[in-house]
Amino acid sequence: MKRVVSVSLGTSQRDHTASIRIFGEDVHIERLGMDGDLERARRTIQDLDGKVDAIGLGGIDRYLVVNQIRYEIRDARYLVDAASQTPVVDGSGLKDTWERWVVEDQIAKGVLRPAMTVLMVSALDRFGMAETFYRYGFSVLAGDLIFGSHINYPIESLDELIELGRKLLPEMVKLPFTQLYPTGALQTAAPDDRYYEYFSNTDIIAGDFHFIRRYAPEKLDQKVIVTNTTTELDRDELRGRGVREIVTTTPVIAGRTFGTNVMEALLVAVTDILPWDEAWSEVVQKARIELAG
Amino acid sequence: MNEVLSVLQDFAQQCNHNERLRKMNRDWSRLVELLATDTGVTYWLRSDQGQITAGVGEIGGVDLKILAAEDVLRDVFSGVMTPTEPYNAGDLLVKGHQDDLMRLDIITLLIWGE
Repeated sequence: MKRVVSVSLGTSQRDHTASIRIFGEDVHIERLGMDGDLERARRTIQDLDGKVDAIGLGGIDRYLVVNQIRYEIRDARYLVDAASQTPVVDGSGLKDTWERWVVEDQIAKGVLRPAMTVLMVSALDRFGMAETFYRYGFSVLAGDLIFGSHINYPIESLDELIELGRKLLPEMVKLPFTQLYPTGALQTAAPDDRYYEYFSNTDIIAGDFHFIRRYAPEKLDQKVIVTNTTTELDRDELRGRGVREIVTTTPVIAGRTFGTNVMEALLVAVTDILPWDEAWSEVVQKARIELAG
Repeated sequence: MNEVLSVLQDFAQQCNHNERLRKMNRDWSRLVELLATDTGVTYWLRSDQGQITAGVGEIGGVDLKILAAEDVLRDVFSGVMTPTEPYNAGDLLVKGHQDDLMRLDIITLLIWGE
């Protein structure tokens, strides 16, 4: 059996294991939360190197891809460099394709309609999804500055999102990751009511679940949520808060959706094809068909 | 006029003339002290609901304190160098809330980024 481990900077409270059969192979998946400890994550990757088939990097992106420009987060590079034999992937190769397809599929099904308004709690880390919403004519507010930096300024157009990415990301990726994104205990921080107004005025809430969990108001009547890393409990809780539909951007396996890093590591493990290889998009397309069935 | 003060005043003017920055900072009122560690001169930047002013001299009620050599302060606030570079190298120290530091980073990048 192939073995995939996701080493996440997130909380260890969400650790889990699962098995999945894909492309005729059984794969054992394990998540190890490092509670925000970068050095522990590096040591864990070093320990796993050569012992597992692929490592997923969770709770941190290695690459942010905005308008076809790839920005590498320095701390993620530090983690990736800890392995010399086993491929370490962060999910960015999937996000840019899979998440576009998920939005397109849900538009085709009528779950998402261009007349609806969208709050993307963070868009620079999911540019593919954001761009798809904009391209189909949705009215989108991107909350990267609001939820990531507590600057109360919604980004209102694709052009401005691209401009801000171009101006901010080359430097931002050099900062300690803990300054950019909640890791460890911050992922379970108490709810914050400062930005409720943005949630009440929107039909669709999309993007990183940690931001949604922390900043969304209690009542989410008739909202559609488009996100990925949720557990059964998260989804029950969201439904209890009135959410009409939860669209997960990766398949549900053993009662939870895995991060894109896990899915990417899974595909690397069973195919030996890496996200930067030419055949990668074919692999992702094949997985999409298999997992949908 | 003192070179750093002149740079800070120009920085304040650029913020005040930038519509996006005015909107971003409309709810941000802070007093930032900048101490030149090599000369001992203290400067300040004040944001009053997004309207920025700059000055020199000791001032009370500081929210954020930045410590760096004169040439680092000059280069950061004139766009010659980004704050990340001296911050990561330990040549620029910040005492205060993480959010305020991040906002100052973002302001400088939006003025001089690319």
